[in-house]
Formats: sequence, C-alpha cells, structure tokens
Amino acid sequence: MTILPKPAAAAAGLLVATVCLAPEASAGDGRLVIKVGRIVTNAGPDIENGTIVIEGGRIRSVGKDAESRWDAEVLDHPELVAFPGWVEAHSMRGMDRPNENIEVAPFLDVRDSIDPISFYFEDCLRQGVLAINVQQGPLCAVGAQGRVVKPFGLTIEEMTLRPASGIKISTTRPGRSRALQAQSVRRAFRDLRTHLEKLVQDKKDGRDTARREALFQGRDPDTADNKKGRAMEGSAPWKVKDFEIVPRGHVDEKQEPLLRLVEGKLMAFVSCDGAVAVVQALEIARENGFLANTVLVLDGDAWKAADRIAEAGVPVVLSPQLLYTERDPITGKEIETFVPGVFREKKVRFALQSLNPSSQSLWFQAATCVGYGIPRDEAIAAATKVPADILRLGDRLGTIEKGKDGNILLLSGDPLAVTTNVQYVVLDGNLVYDRSKDRRVMQILEGVEQPNAAPIGTDDAEDVDPHSGEKKTKTPKKD
Amino acid sequence: MSLLPIAFLALAAQETTTRAWTIQAERVYTGTGRNLEQGFVVVNGGKIAAVTPDVGGDGGRPRDQLRAYAVTAGLVDAGVRVTNWFSVEQSSEVTPHLRVADTLDPFALDWDRQVRNGVTTVLVSPVDRNVIGGLSVVLKTAGPDSIAERTVKADAVLRGSMGSDPSAGNRPASGRPATFYARRPTTRMGVEWEWRNAFFTAAENRASKDPGTSTLVAALQGKLPIFVQAWVTQDIRTAVFLREEVQARPEFAGMNTPRFVIDAAAEAWKEPQLLVRSKTPVVLPPFPAEGRTREGAQMAWNVAKVLEDAGVPFALSSHGSGEVDSRLAMQAGYAMSGGLGFDSALAAVTSTPAKLLGVDQRVGTIEVGKDADLVLWSGEPFQPGSRVVATIVDGVLRYEGWTAVQGAALTR
Repeated sequence: MTILPKPAAAAAGLLVATVCLAPEASAGDGRLVIKVGRIVTNAGPDIENGTIVIEGGRIRSVGKDAESRWDAEVLDHPELVAFPGWVEAHSMRGMDRPNENIEVAPFLDVRDSIDPISFYFEDCLRQGVLAINVQQGPLCAVGAQGRVVKPFGLTIEEMTLRPASGIKISTTRPGRSRALQAQSVRRAFRDLRTHLEKLVQDKKDGRDTARREALFQGRDPDTADNKKGRAMEGSAPWKVKDFEIVPRGHVDEKQEPLLRLVEGKLMAFVSCDGAVAVVQALEIARENGFLANTVLVLDGDAWKAADRIAEAGVPVVLSPQLLYTERDPITGKEIETFVPGVFREKKVRFALQSLNPSSQSLWFQAATCVGYGIPRDEAIAAATKVPADILRLGDRLGTIEKGKDGNILLLSGDPLAVTTNVQYVVLDGNLVYDRSKDRRVMQILEGVEQPNAAPIGTDDAEDVDPHSGEKKTKTPKKD
Repeated sequence: MSLLPIAFLALAAQETTTRAWTIQAERVYTGTGRNLEQGFVVVNGGKIAAVTPDVGGDGGRPRDQLRAYAVTAGLVDAGVRVTNWFSVEQSSEVTPHLRVADTLDPFALDWDRQVRNGVTTVLVSPVDRNVIGGLSVVLKTAGPDSIAERTVKADAVLRGSMGSDPSAGNRPASGRPATFYARRPTTRMGVEWEWRNAFFTAAENRASKDPGTSTLVAALQGKLPIFVQAWVTQDIRTAVFLREEVQARPEFAGMNTPRFVIDAAAEAWKEPQLLVRSKTPVVLPPFPAEGRTREGAQMAWNVAKVLEDAGVPFALSSHGSGEVDSRLAMQAGYAMSGGLGFDSALAAVTSTPAKLLGVDQRVGTIEVGKDADLVLWSGEPFQPGSRVVATIVDGVLRYEGWTAVQGAALTR
C-alpha cells in the first residue's frame, strides 16, 4: 500500500502550483521509508526488494530489511527501482542571463541570477537531476561564482547545496582572439597582485585608504575576523611579501574572491573550447597556484590535450557532444572520436553534461557511454559520483548509502533504458515529484492538453547555445 | 545488456567484394514475426541465403564470420531530404518531372554517416522549396560510386509540400512594385491552389506528352505515390481533403486513385481517424526534445502508439540526421518510450517504410532471397546504450564499429 505525505503546507503549495508538480509535495519533515523491488545503490551490488529509511533528511539505513519507526510514512513500490539522483557538474542554465558583459567579475554570484521557478529546474526534477552546479557562461575572462543547487525550492537559499562552488574562468571567447582573452585572464591576476602589494605599501606608509574604501563599500573592516592579517596562503609561485600586516577586511571586495582562488579556498571552472585553450588554462592555473582546485570544462577538440590534462591531474567536465567528428584534410573522410573513451584511457576523472534539459539528460549521456564501450558502473559514476566528488559533495551525493542526503529517484526500470521514466523524486526525505500528477509530462508525452499547464516549447523554454550559454534566438528550429 | 563486448571472429581477407558471411547473434530480429535466440544469418552473393538456429555442416564453403549481440535488417529512412536549398529548381513552383537523383553526390559524407548509424536504404527527396518539387529516389547508402548503380527504385515517389515551406521567403507584391523576382505562392492558400491547379490542369490535358503532366497523371492514377509534407493538423487536413476532392470530382474520372503518404506528420496523433478514413499512411518527423517541432507542430511522444492503435501505417524518420541523439535508431527508441512495442518500432524503421516505397521485395526484413542489408548491434537495438557495430550493404561489410574503448575509429 502506498501512503503519500500529507497535504502541503501553504507555502509549499504555492511553489508547487507555480511549477505544476506533485500537489502533495510537502515541505515535510524529511522522514520517509522507501520500499522498492531493486535498489541501485551505486556503491556495491544492487539490493533486491530493499528498504531505504530516511530520517532528518539523511539516509539512516539501506538494506534488505532496514528497521523503521512504526509511524514513518512508507512509499511502497515493488515495481520500481531506486536510484541516487544524477549530478550535473556544470550548467549554464537556470539563470535569467548566463553572461555578464564586463571582463572580470569574480565578485558576482549566480545567486543573484538564478530563477528558482525556471522551467529548467522543473525539467531537472523530471529527469532526476538532483544537484546542479550552475555556472556563468564563458564570455567573461573571469566570471561569477557558481553555486550547487537542488532543483526544488522557492528561494535560492532553499535550493542551495553549496554556495561559491567556484569561479568561472574562460581563456577563450567567441569573436575574440585567444591572445587578447588569455591576456585579460592574466591581467586579472596581475591586478590582484598589484592591489595586494599596494595594500601592504599603504599600510607601511600609514595610509588608511583601504579601510575607508571598505567602509564605503558597506563592509565592516573592524570585526575581529576582518581586523586580523594573515600571510598569503596557497601554492602560487608569487607571494605578496608582508601581507600579514594587512587586515583581511581591507582587501577590496572586487578582488577578494580571486585571492581566495589563489589561496586554494575556491575552485575554478575553466572553459576550454579547444586543445590550445587547455594549455593556456593549465599555464595560468600553475602561474597562480590554483591547479589543485581547477576543473576544466571542455568543448570542441580540447580532448586532444588529454595527455596534458592527465599530467596536470585535474578533472574535466566533458562537452555534451560526446562524439567528436572531424574531417581528414587529406582523405576527406570523417573521423569520429568518442571523447569519454579518450579520458578513460588516460585515467582522467571526467563528468558528463546533459545534452539538453528535457529529453537527453544525464541518463542519456551515461547510456551513450555504455553504447560506446565504457563499463556501465563507470558510465553511471560519470554522472553521479564523479561530479559529486568534483563539486566536493561526495560525502552527501552520488550513492544510496547511510549518512548521505535522502535523495532517491524511483524509476520505472533500468536507469539507462530509453523506456524508463522517473516516477517519484524524494529530495531530503521529502516527496517532491510525482509523475502521475505532472501535467506537463502528460502534455509532452501524451499530447493531453492540461488546464493551467505551462506552455511547452515556447520562448520561455531553456533553449541555450551550448557554447556561450546564451539563450538561442526564437526562430523555429530547422530540422 | 551484459553481452556488450563484441568479438569479431576471424576477420580475415577483408575485401569490399567479400560477400559470403555467417553472422551469429544472440538475437536475430528478422522483422517477419519469427525472431531467433541464438541464430545465424548466412549471406551469399549479396543476398540472404539462410536464417537458421544452427548452421550445422554447411557444405564446407569458407565464409567470414561475424558475431554480435543482435542483428536486424538494414534500417530504411523514408524522410531524408537534400539539405542544400540550391539543389531545387526554382524556376517554377511546380516541377513534377525533375529528378532529385540528378543533383545527388555519391561521394557526399552524408551516406557514410547513414551507414555508420545502420541506415542502408533511404528515400531522398528534394528540399521543400517548391509546392511540387519532383521525383524522389530510393537509394542504398553504400555501394558503387554512382547514384544510378545505388538506386533501388528510380522515380519512386512524387514529392510535394503543404504548409509554409513552399511560400517561405517568397515576396508578395504589396508595398513594392511587382517584379519577376517576386515568387509565388506567399500563403498556405496559395500553396493549396498550386496543388489543385496542377492536378486539374493535368486532368484536362491527360493526353499531353509534357513530362510534368504525364508525371502528375501517373500520380493521380496511383502509379506513383505522392509524398506530401504536412506537419500540422491544418496541413494534414488539406492534403487529405485534396485527395478526397480528386476522388469525388468528375474531372478526374479514370484517374482518381492517387496514393498519398503524409510526410513529417507531427500532429497525426490529433486526428488519426482522418488518416484511417482516407487510408493514408504517414512518415513521422524526428521527435523534438520538447513537445514542439517545426511549423509550431506539437508532437506528443506517444504519436507512434496512437497511430498503431488506430491502424494507421507509419514509418519513423531522422530526416537524415547522424547525430547521436537523433539518428534513426534513437527515433525508434523514443517511439518505444512513448509506448510502442519493440517489434512495431523495428517495423517502423525497416519493413513499413520499405512497403511505403514499394521496395519491400528487396529490403526491410531478414528473409531468404532478400538483399543482404544487415545491422549488427552491441546490445538491444534502439537503446542509447547500444550501438551499431557493423553494417552490411548488399553483402559487403561497409562499416565496422569500434571493438573497444579507444580514441579513434578502427582502421584497417
């Protein structure tokens, strides 16, 4: 017997009405028992007829006969398969606009750009993508700080899994020479160094410009933490001498995120649209000591620099186009390269990106990997465990294990089969999606037009260019 | 899907002229209703010589052997369009007698892409710039370096279009002086008028030796199927009503049995009974990632299932795409995710399009005597977790997939 959570609280009901999802979805208390025919734990062998007990939003036990409290609500579906949520390592969707038009903007945060009721997050839920690292597009040399979010919640704070997931850096920009763009990135770090050195000199000279600037920016330079000075940390080959005499609160807020990057406290997601860009990205990361906290976001023929990437030991997020096609200039024949295969051979950790948010999501990419010969567990890991680790959320996401977040997909079949659907989504122990009540699914899949359903395939749809992250023009798609 | 790794056994003496194979598969999906577990397909002289659960003592004739998880007939795509806008003759809106075959390049890379994706037979049509664009051709995607020698059926169907494609970009006379650069029609009703004008004029001049007229007469007599592009309900209705008008009007006496096929019928699910009434089969366009596709048509993912339940014959098409997510095999997979069974999905990309094109005597199923067009799969066909590992066209191994994870395609 299936017992669904109690009717929603008013606030949750408002959200649910907005995104047309399970009307019963409740803010809940994060307590749920799930009984299914098969649990794909993604951490060892599958469990037949298993039980997952979630308490306080976390998985308390997983097993054949896990104990649960007598009053716990039970989701009992012997016909379904439990699977941990997919994890999107990098996405330029879900924001009102993905790019800034200033060159260096590490002080910005996608927090201010993410739209919680965007169709994109609704699609993520429908496709079972339960953690998304939202990053800016690649048009800034140094872009905003990204954020890992869940696809459910009315506010950014409710959605947030990890703020400040990393700064977006781009060594290439469409329409601009590589030289100029690389110079912009390098200049950002030179400007940081100059700024820090000036702070030291001003302090030595007894000037308090920086303190007054901090006050002007609305920051309090006199809190205990901000008054403290610390020597520059991290492994950058350049160091600012005597930096410990400068109170940390005096560092300009426009520069401070870059300082955190150089000190190894913030990650960098570096866009590389080709092999040349990879070499530049790795150089710049080494010059400024953030190689250890760098993730490369690849596109185009960047896979050709796989040896350099392996040598640098950095993980990569692959282009959604898994099959790279080029034309041999001499024979005129097309050569196809299956990109994940290259990185697997070089033993580079790689994460997959969705091809689109609506149909060919992470499940499709993982399945494609299996089709091209990647072992099944590795293919699934590339869209669950590996991205979770890359995002430093490996202790919370990626598998169904005791202690992890209570995020469970209930699937109608094998996670990689084309005929499989996400039937229910449990997020932090709360049922947040029920396919049988998803009006938009009925419209897209069955052609049943639903009253008050969100429109499909309209201008509002998240149809973004995979290279720039910019929304595509509204011209009808040519097939 | 535990049988993914594929071993090609004894791949010796590979010449493109090799035409004798024994193909062993866990699943032989013949497309005739008789599927085999653990079976063999024997190929000889470019034709299928045997489909058997056991080759036994086979007369000792040396054959090269191939092994895969599954084998199906070569896929058939009835919706491939020439993508070059300038390959269509634009001197008139109605050019029924022009042959698209004359504009095709046998060396184009498109054919190789199709072969890699397991598509062995295609209907190639002129781009829908004209109302009646001309004669489409049924081709093999691999073979000799000449279109003529790859042709399975020349002048297979008459191709035309409803909707906005034939008028898109045409300039109306309003607002500026009419010049001979202005091209008509400029509206849907103009497009429909061109169709009716062409039909009625052909009927009036049925004895004419004019090649355009005699082509139209053959089509009206049902000797040449008419493929009409119509994405939305409005245009599907127009096509069906046009056919019914031909059947009803006295002007068409003796030539009132045209055979229509609606191509790119994304909204066919909305009024399947209309297609049942007029006995009109359809070719579906590729499934869109979201619900809507060209012309604003809404294509529900259960469209194939709805048509099957209503009894409307249908074929699936990728429109010639070779992309991982939109190739023909995935269209069959998407139809399955909309509720269609595997055997029906297989038929929709093999035997049904072969029948619609009148080439089912040669291709579309694995049967003794048919062309040896075969696709070998690494797992269950139409799943994204399976890939085409080999394609055989007329008994010749034209594509051999990757045997392991590696950085580049195998070369030999």
